[in-house]
Amino acid sequence: MLSVKADNLDKMGLLFERYHRVLFAFLYHSTGQAAISEDLVQTVFYRMLKYRHTFTGDGEFRTWMYHLARNVLNDYFKKNQRVIYQEDITSISERNQAEPSADFQLEKKQESEALHQALAKLSPEYREVLILSRFQELSYQEIADVLKTSEGNIKVKVHRAMKELKNIYLKSSSTL
Amino acid sequence: MENKDFEFDKEEQDLWEQLGKINTPNPSPASRTRFYAMLDTYQNELESKKEKSFQAVFERLKQAFQYKPAYNWAYALVLLALGGMIGYFSGKTTANETLANRETVEQLSSEVQEMKQMMMLSMLENPTATERLKAVSYTQELSTVDDQVIDALLTTLNFDQNENVRLVTLEALIQLAHHPKVREGLVQSLLKQESPLMQVALADAMVKLQEKRSVKQFKKLLKKDNLNNSVKSKIEKTIQVLS
Repeated sequence: MLSVKADNLDKMGLLFERYHRVLFAFLYHSTGQAAISEDLVQTVFYRMLKYRHTFTGDGEFRTWMYHLARNVLNDYFKKNQRVIYQEDITSISERNQAEPSADFQLEKKQESEALHQALAKLSPEYREVLILSRFQELSYQEIADVLKTSEGNIKVKVHRAMKELKNIYLKSSSTL
Repeated sequence: MENKDFEFDKEEQDLWEQLGKINTPNPSPASRTRFYAMLDTYQNELESKKEKSFQAVFERLKQAFQYKPAYNWAYALVLLALGGMIGYFSGKTTANETLANRETVEQLSSEVQEMKQMMMLSMLENPTATERLKAVSYTQELSTVDDQVIDALLTTLNFDQNENVRLVTLEALIQLAHHPKVREGLVQSLLKQESPLMQVALADAMVKLQEKRSVKQFKKLLKKDNLNNSVKSKIEKTIQVLS
C-alpha cells in the first residue's frame, strides 16, 4: 500500500487480488446482497485510490481497509434507509455450485438460511462483530483496532451477540 | 483464527460452529474486470490532470512574459530598479579593497609630489627667468615642503639675479611662514638684499609676519652707507611698528 501511496498505482492490482474476496465477504454478510456488495467493493477500492495519502503505514493495511469498508457501508445504509439487510440466499447456491450431494446440499441450505435470517435480525452492532470475528477471522485485537475500542469490549460484544443470535435462532426454529 | 476464549453454552457453541461453516459466495469474475477498468480510468484521469496542471503553469508563464502596452510604466520601473541594483552591486567594494585603493592613491600622490618637487628644484636652476618664476609658483601646488625646497627657495631669494624672481620667491616664502626655518631665513635675508625694492618688500613682510627678531637686522641695515633714503625711512617706520 505504501507503493500505491507513492503513486505507484499498478500495485493496486496486487492489493485487489489479495483482498477483494475477504472484502466482498464482509460486505456480503453485512448487506446480504451479492450484487450490491460487488458495487461496494468497487467503491472501497476507489476510495483506497482517492484517499491513499491518508494511509500512514503505522497500522496494518487490513485495519485501514475495514475502516474504509465500514464507512462505505454506513453511507450505503444512510442512502438506502429502508434497506437494512435482505437475505439473498439464492446467490450462494448459484455461485457455489460444487456441493457433494443433493440431500446434504438441501440440509446445508436450510441451516444457512435459518442462520442468515437470525443474523439478519441481529442489531447491526452485534452483526458486525460476529462477521468480523467469525467470517473474516480477525482477532479481537484487530477488531478492536477497526472499531477503535478495547479488546475487552469486543469480547463482551461477541459474547452478547452470540446470546442474542441464539435467542433469535431458537425463536425462528420453534415457529417453523 | 478461533477467537472464542470464553464459555458458551451448548447451543451457543453449536451456533458458533455453524457460523464457521456458512458458505460465502465468491464475487463474480466481472468484478475483477470492473476493478481494472476503474483503475485504468483513474490513472488516465490522474495523468491528464498532471498534464493540465503543467499546461496551466506554462500558459501563466507565457502570459506573464507577453508584452502588454498597459504595463509600460511597470516595465520601465523594473528596468530602472534592475539598473540601480546592477550599478549598486558592481560599484560596491569590500573594506579591504577600499583600503588597498586608498593606499595606492596615497602612494601615487606622494610620487607626484616628489616629481613636482624635483621638477621645481631643477627648474630653479634654469637660466631663463621665466622658467625660474614658474618653478617658484609650483611651490604653491606642493602640499608639503621639506627642508630641501625651503633651502632652494631661500637661495633663490638671496642670490637670484632677477629681481622679479626674488620678489615672487619672497611671496612664496611668506606663504610658508609657519615654518621656523623660513622665518629665520627671511630675517637673515635682510642684510643680503642690495635692491631697494627687495628691502622694502622684506620690510612689509616682516610687519605682516610681526617678526620682532628682524628689528636687530633692520638696525644693522640702517648703518649701511649706500642705503636708499626712501628705504631708510621705510625701515625706520617698520622698526617703530615692530618694537
